[in-house]
This record gives sequence, C-alpha cells and structure tokens, in this order.
Amino acid sequence: MFKNYIIVAWRNLLKNKTFSLLNIVGLAVGLACFILITMYVMDELSYDKHNEKAERIYRINSDIRFGGNDLRLAVCSDPMGATLKKDYPQVEQFVRIYNSNGSKMLKKGTAFIEETKVAHADSTIFDVFTLPMIAGNPKTALSEPNTVVISKSAAEKYFGTVDAIGKGIEVNDEQHTVYKVTAVIKDMPQNAHFNYDFIFSMDNVEYGWGNFLSHNFQTYVLLQPGTDYKAFNKNFKQVIDKYILPQAKQLMQINSMEDFARTGNKLEYSLMPMLDIHLYSDRFPELGVNSSIQYVYIFSAVALFILLIACVNFMNLSTARSSNRAKEVGIRKVLGTGKKLLIGQFLTESTLMVFIGLLIAIGLVWLSIGYFNNIAGKTLGITMLLKPGYLLFLLLIPVVTGVLAGLYPAFFLSSFQPIAVLKGRTGKAFSRSNFRSALVIFQFFTSIVLIISTIVVFKQLNFIQNAKIGFNKDQMLIVNGTWALNNNADAFRNEVAKMSGVKASSFAGYLPVSNSSRNDNTFSTEAVMNEKNGFNMQVWNVDYDYIPVMGMEVLKGRNFSKEYGSDSTALIINETAAKMLGFDDPVGKKLYTLVGNDNELVSYTIVAVVKNFNYESLRKNVGPLSMRLGYNKWATAFKVSATDVTALLKNIETKWKSMAPDMPFSYQFLDDSFDNMYRAEQRIGKVALSFALLAIFIACLGLFGLAAYMAEQRTKEIGVRKVLGASVTSITTLLSKDFVKLVCIASLIAFPVAWWAMSTWLRDFAYRVSISWWVFGLAGFVALLIAVLTVSSHAIKAALTNPVKSLRNE
Amino acid sequence: MLLELKNIFKWVTVGGNRVFLLKDVNLQVQEGEFISIMGPSGSGKSTMLNVIGMLDGFDEGEYNFLHESVHKLKEKQRAQLYKQYIGFVFQQYHLIDELTVYENIETPLLYQDVKSSERKAMVADMLDRFNIVGKKDLFPAQLSGGQQQLVGIARALIAKPKLILADEPTGNLNSKQGEEIMDLFTQLNKEGVTIIQVTHSEKNAAYAGRTIHLLDGRIEQQVTN
Repeated sequence: MFKNYIIVAWRNLLKNKTFSLLNIVGLAVGLACFILITMYVMDELSYDKHNEKAERIYRINSDIRFGGNDLRLAVCSDPMGATLKKDYPQVEQFVRIYNSNGSKMLKKGTAFIEETKVAHADSTIFDVFTLPMIAGNPKTALSEPNTVVISKSAAEKYFGTVDAIGKGIEVNDEQHTVYKVTAVIKDMPQNAHFNYDFIFSMDNVEYGWGNFLSHNFQTYVLLQPGTDYKAFNKNFKQVIDKYILPQAKQLMQINSMEDFARTGNKLEYSLMPMLDIHLYSDRFPELGVNSSIQYVYIFSAVALFILLIACVNFMNLSTARSSNRAKEVGIRKVLGTGKKLLIGQFLTESTLMVFIGLLIAIGLVWLSIGYFNNIAGKTLGITMLLKPGYLLFLLLIPVVTGVLAGLYPAFFLSSFQPIAVLKGRTGKAFSRSNFRSALVIFQFFTSIVLIISTIVVFKQLNFIQNAKIGFNKDQMLIVNGTWALNNNADAFRNEVAKMSGVKASSFAGYLPVSNSSRNDNTFSTEAVMNEKNGFNMQVWNVDYDYIPVMGMEVLKGRNFSKEYGSDSTALIINETAAKMLGFDDPVGKKLYTLVGNDNELVSYTIVAVVKNFNYESLRKNVGPLSMRLGYNKWATAFKVSATDVTALLKNIETKWKSMAPDMPFSYQFLDDSFDNMYRAEQRIGKVALSFALLAIFIACLGLFGLAAYMAEQRTKEIGVRKVLGASVTSITTLLSKDFVKLVCIASLIAFPVAWWAMSTWLRDFAYRVSISWWVFGLAGFVALLIAVLTVSSHAIKAALTNPVKSLRNE
Repeated sequence: MLLELKNIFKWVTVGGNRVFLLKDVNLQVQEGEFISIMGPSGSGKSTMLNVIGMLDGFDEGEYNFLHESVHKLKEKQRAQLYKQYIGFVFQQYHLIDELTVYENIETPLLYQDVKSSERKAMVADMLDRFNIVGKKDLFPAQLSGGQQQLVGIARALIAKPKLILADEPTGNLNSKQGEEIMDLFTQLNKEGVTIIQVTHSEKNAAYAGRTIHLLDGRIEQQVTN
C-alpha cells in the first residue's frame, strides 16, 4: 500500500511539473532559511555550556548610582571574591579576570606584535572554568608571578610547536617582563563569552589592592551544588555593611547605607548566572561581544514564519489543484478506500515533497553558509548538521513539515463525495475558499512586516551615520600605541603634523567611541565629600589641541590655553555634567576629587562647558564628562585632508619604523571605529533584508502558482466575458482584483504589528528615528506591486486567449 | 443587407497539408432573416458561426458587416462591432456560475459602459419579458436547463443586438423546453431580430426561413422553407 502511495505521489509530481517545481523550490528555500537560522540560534544558546560546572558559575555584577550617574557594571572590587569565599561556605571557589587595556605588545623574534586576546587571571581560573590543558599543571600554572598560560594556536604562532612549556615571552611593559609559559591549553571555543590566547598571572597587575570602592575586576564565583543564587544575593547587604562602609566612611564621610540611599544613591551587588551572560548581559565592561536574547527571539520567529510561508504555499497549491485529483479520489472511494487511507496517501505525498525540498535545502545551506556567516558575524560550519541531535532534528523536519503542510489538503481532498466528483460537479468549492484567502493574507502579512522592519532598521542606521554627535569623526586618523614611542612620541607627532595632508594633531588616549579608554572619578562640589555632594563623572586627560582637533564646540568659557599658567587645575565639563551640577553659570565654580593612591583631595576650577558629544553608542544617553589637561599618549589623532591617504599612511609608517623599528604600526579611522559600534545593527539590517526578500520570494512562488491555477479555473468565465465584450484590461483587473484585496488586508494587519515590533526595537536607542507613515505606505506599495506583477502575467495571458478555444463544445 | 461572406476560406495546416475548415463560403444575410445551419459533425457549422460572430478569423475572402469590411478591421474595432451588434447563445448556456441571474444578464451592459440606472431598467425589462423576475437572485446551479438557456438568451438580447448567433441552443434541453426556446426565437425574429442558429434537428431548423446545409466546409445547398 505504502509503495503504491509513493508511486502515485511520484507520478503526480512528474505530471504537474510546474506545480511540483513551485512547491519544491518554495519548500527548499524555506527549509534552507529555517536550517540556517536554527543553526544560528543553537549556536547562540550553546554559549559557555562547555564548562563542566557551567550551572554553578556566577558573575558578580555591580549596580551603582552616585550623584545621579547610573553605572551598571560587570566588574566588582578586588577583595570581593576572596571575601565571599572566606565568609560564606556556599562559595566553593572564585576567580578574577583583569583586562585593563585590552591588548599587549608581545615579542616574537625581534619585533613586537599587538595581541588583543589577553588577560590577567587568578590561578583558580582552572578550578572554575573548564580549560583543558595540553601540557602543564592546572594547580600551579598561574600561582607565581611572571607566568603565562597560552593557547595551542598561540604556542604554534610564537614557538612553532605546542611544546612551549618553560619558554619565555617578553611583554613590552615598563620592565620588559619576560613571562614563563607554564601551561598550554586548547584553544577556547568561539561560543564562550570570553576568548583568550594569553592568560597572565594576576600577581603582575599593579594595583592598589584591597580597595572595596574601585570596581575593576570581572569576578566569578563557583557556588556549592544546590545553592540558590537569588537567596545568596541577600548576603551582599552584610558584606557592604561589614567591609565597604568602613572604607566609605573614611574616604567620603558616608556614615550609613541608609543615609547613602536617602540621597538617591545606590550600591547593589548581585550574582548573574554565567550561562545568561551572552544573551542577557549588557553591562560595562564586557569581556567579549555579547548578543541579545531579543535577537534570538526575532530570528526564531522569522525562521518559523518563513517555514510557515513555504507550508502555506504547499497547502494553497494542493487545494487549488484539488479538482485535478478529485476524480482519482472519487474512483478510489468507489473502489472502497476509506478516508483514513486517503489522508495517509496525501500525507505521504506531502512528506515526499518536503523530503525532496530538504535535500535541496541542505545543498542551499552548504552554498550560502559563508554568506550567512558573513552577515550574521558567526563561524558556523555545515558539519554542525552532522551532530546526532541535529541529525535527528533534520529527519524530523520533513515529517513535521509534511504533516503540517499536508494535513489540510489531505482532509480537504479526502472529503469529496465520489458521486459528485465523478459526475464532474466539482465546481464552486475549488475556485474560492476563505481558508485559502486567509493563507495568502498570512504570507503577505509576514512579508510586509519584514519589509517594514528592514526599512526601519536601515533608517535608524542612516540616522546614526548622519546624527549630530558633537564631534567630527570624518578624516580623523588615529595612530594607536604611540605611548610605546616613549620620549619620541612628541617628535613623532610633530613630524607627522608637518607632512602635507595633515591639518592638525592631538594626543588622544580617550576617544569618543566605545571600547576606548575610560576613566571615571568621584567628584564633589564641596571640600568635604559626603553622600549628598558626591557624584561620579568621566574624567579624560586631554591636551590643548584635543577639543579643536575633535571638532567639539565650547559653549561657555574657553579651551585650555598655554596663556594661563593655572590650567593644570582647570576642568572642562560637558552639558550633562553642567545640568547635573545645577549651577546657573558653572564657569569659575570649583569641583573636588580624590587623587592618587593616598586619596588626596584636589580642587579643580571649571573653565568651560563643551557641547554634549556622544562618547558611547547612540543607544545610551550622554553621561556627565569632564576633561582636564594632561597627556595621554596612548594614541595620537591626526586630522587629515583626503588627497592621497594611501601615500600619507605610507609616509607615516616609514616615520614610525624609523623611530620604533620593533613596534607594529597600527592605525584606525575614527569613522570606522564609530561604525563598528553599530555592527550588530548593521547585521540585523542585512539579515532582515535577506530574509524579507526570501519571504517575499517564497510567497510570490505560491501566488504565481495560485494565479496560474485561478486563471485556468476561470478560463470558461473569461471566455464568456470576452464574448460579451470584456476588454483585456477589464479581464486582467478582474483576475488581479482578488489578490490585490488580500494584499491590502494583509497590509492593514501588518502595519500595527510592525509598528509595535519596531517601536520596541527602537526603544533600545536613546537617539532614534520616528517611524513615519511613508514607511508603511512604501512597504504596502512594494508588496502590492510585487503581487500585481506576479499575478498579472497570468491574468494577461488568460485575457488574451481566444474565447473560441475556451468555449469549444467538446 | 446585414452581412455578406464572399469566398471565405479557412484552413489549418497539418503535416504540410491544408485541411479546409471552410471552403469558398458565400452567404448573404438580410436584416430580419432567420437562418438555420445544418450539417454533420465536423462540417464546419460552429466554425462558420464563429467567423460570422468575429470570434474567429479566416484565411481568405471578404466579410462585410453593415458595410464595414470586417477583414480589414483591427481586433479592437472588431470587438467594438460585435459587442454592439451581436448576441451569442450557447448550447452549454455558459452562464457565470458565481453570478446571479440578474448579474449574468447585466454583464454585457457593464462592458458597454451603460449607466447604472439605465442598466437596472434594462435588466428589469428583460426579466419581466422572460417571466423570470422571481428567479433574479438565484444562481445558475439552482435553475433547470431550460431556465438557464432562457437567461442565456436574455443576456444575449440585453444589449439590443441586430443579430443573434445561437450554437445548438436546444442541444442540452428536452423537447418541451426546446420548443419553448424555438417559439421564443420565432417571436424575436418577428420583432425584427436577425437570428442564425446551428442545429442538428430538422424540426428546429424548420422554424427558420432558410436552411443552409454544410458538408466538409462548403455550402452544399440552401433551402428556403
């Protein structure tokens, strides 16, 4: 019986080549999208799961509000981990990770190379995280100063062999420390929230240890099995009272946490499950680029909807074609086949169709995975499909999809009355169906929502590109690592500034883009700091040229100037800081801050207010910021004019090589760094665009088939109408009208849904575009245009047919 | 004279050989005539009717309709011509299943841009005349064959054509219904409508004033009844 099903299914497939092709292509494209997105989602959900104790690892987060400035930190103070372990038996182990500058210069052969995958960590890192060692002892690997654990690929890069234990790596710090390799670990997996090639000993970090008030360390704790971390969070109150308050009392005259809270301030700690970090954590500073659960949801929904669109095609085409099958159903029923067997037969057919589609889909995935990785920023491999879990999933797809797509057509077809169909009275039931209309509406609803989303994402990206950000990011060349030139830094800057094509220069350790240096300090408006007058603010060391070179605008007061001898205690604040301070005229007012390891209180005089500039992503509001005179030579900014940038870069590199032959020359353009902040949005834009196009493509395949069938069904009617004098135009209109109506209804449903979805997305941005009405108009129009173009080719063909042919008697 | 066919040839080429569907057909039809076309299956009756109705072209010869040379007209002008002057009646009635009796009759007027109020009056008139006012909201499937053909004729007449072309109008009807239809044709003819019908039945052919016998695409004889 089953063999018979397959044979009939196969013959039907070959008999209606056009319909089979439309169906299979639609299903294949839909399934390919579905598989790609599933791979993406599985990868996102797999982050950090390779850790054997993953469920028990938690990160300590800090939430601080001080003087109206909110800080949501992924770091906490240096003694916190050890304190928790000492006082609470639930804490089995802790580890701190410190990655202050994000990069180190390491010597390979005779030259230095900049490595970015570096960090310092406690030796307990191997107790908490699962980092399999190829060689070395995890118990002792990082327990001494001047030790480093490197990855397999780092060992191969620096020593040409995995066998690197005992060898030395020189770091270009002040002492030119040589670190001894004590262990080689396997490369960390991509799907982890941090990824390092070099883990240095924590003992080499120069720091004012034991300070509960400075938050600089990523700290992870390993809890005993069965510990409720939410309950554990309550213990932090005790920790604050016992350890933090005494230090705060001493430095800032804060006497109780109640007083502290009463003035609108906040200090809270909490544990965050490590497995949540990749998808839920958006704090500062993160150890890697995190994703968002929002995108996982969005992608999953898109995957499901695209697959549904493909299924809907199948349902639509199968039921539309049902009159072709009606006679077969009639005969089978007369011959005694029951309804159940018929349903089984039709489901076999749909599953066969989906299975063929799946084979093509896997081919499509194989072809497109490179492109997908590129736009989604992933490194997924097709081999992922071969994992047993996924293989089972792949086998389930055709069954589930086949049933999903085939169930309605199966019931529809198997319910025909044999006498009626055999007498040829199939008539009305096939030509129009509300259910089928609903399915077409669903397809276009999805397509239109995707179109609108794509437009809004690109509008926001465009807005970001052209937003008034308060500084000039264009033609700004940043040469990194100029601090390494030591005393030559000034000479280098001056020499380059003299080159043609360079207009101005400034040392620029702090840059108004994410992932550049930051420094915040506690300030107060009075000489005695307490919880009422204290507040946190960014403080950047800049030179005389920084503000004009960056194109920032001084609103009140004056820039730092060599003409004023006292400018070493001058401070320039931004508008947010000025607003927060509440002075009528902040220029001339004094601010106090603690400086140095012995926490000396120093006073600064405000000399200017600078117009707000966005120094973080436009997702965030501009926070309070101040600038004081100082030289941070970490990087140097050159304002260039765009004549021959390549030649200029070559000149600068030559200059660099002559001054620091063993240092790598590394540079960036500020506008590129600016764009990098919106990589995630650009990805979403591209992904949304790709899937919107595919969704529309699949929907159009279905519509194309449906229109062809409708035209065929209505041949007689069209013939009659033509004989009665209908023109080609009126016939085309007649046939297109129904579909246009459906697209219009789909638009009306899609508009509010898309509006809601995109408003939610835009809410993440402090600076955002509005969703104007034309977006909806455009999306509706595009969908309509595509639908009309798809349908009208058939309609016109039908309208041009000679009625004599369609009305012939036989 | 209403129309004239002069030396009309129509053929199809099968395997390099011409197979003639119409061979040197000459016919003159005066206004107010009632003509039957008879002949065995495949003799070219329907083809001839389609040529007269301008639904089908021909390969050679001249066709004049109301002093217009149809063979020289463009497709659009031809459509304009038959829309205005010719009504069609089919053996299978060819009513539009999705439309009611009323709407079916109204359809030709829609394609001739007749105003809504006028259309209403004309359709009401027609329903009245054919005694089918009570059935105006029914769908074709709810009517008997005779009633459907009545609607078909009503639809053919609604635009006040000069010529009715009927392709075996009674072919699917029982004899009583057929008789009624033929009586209706006779009456219409008396009112001045020219009618050309294709029929297999001698009895029905006899209602006409003239019978044309076709054989293998050529006019074998014409008999005046």
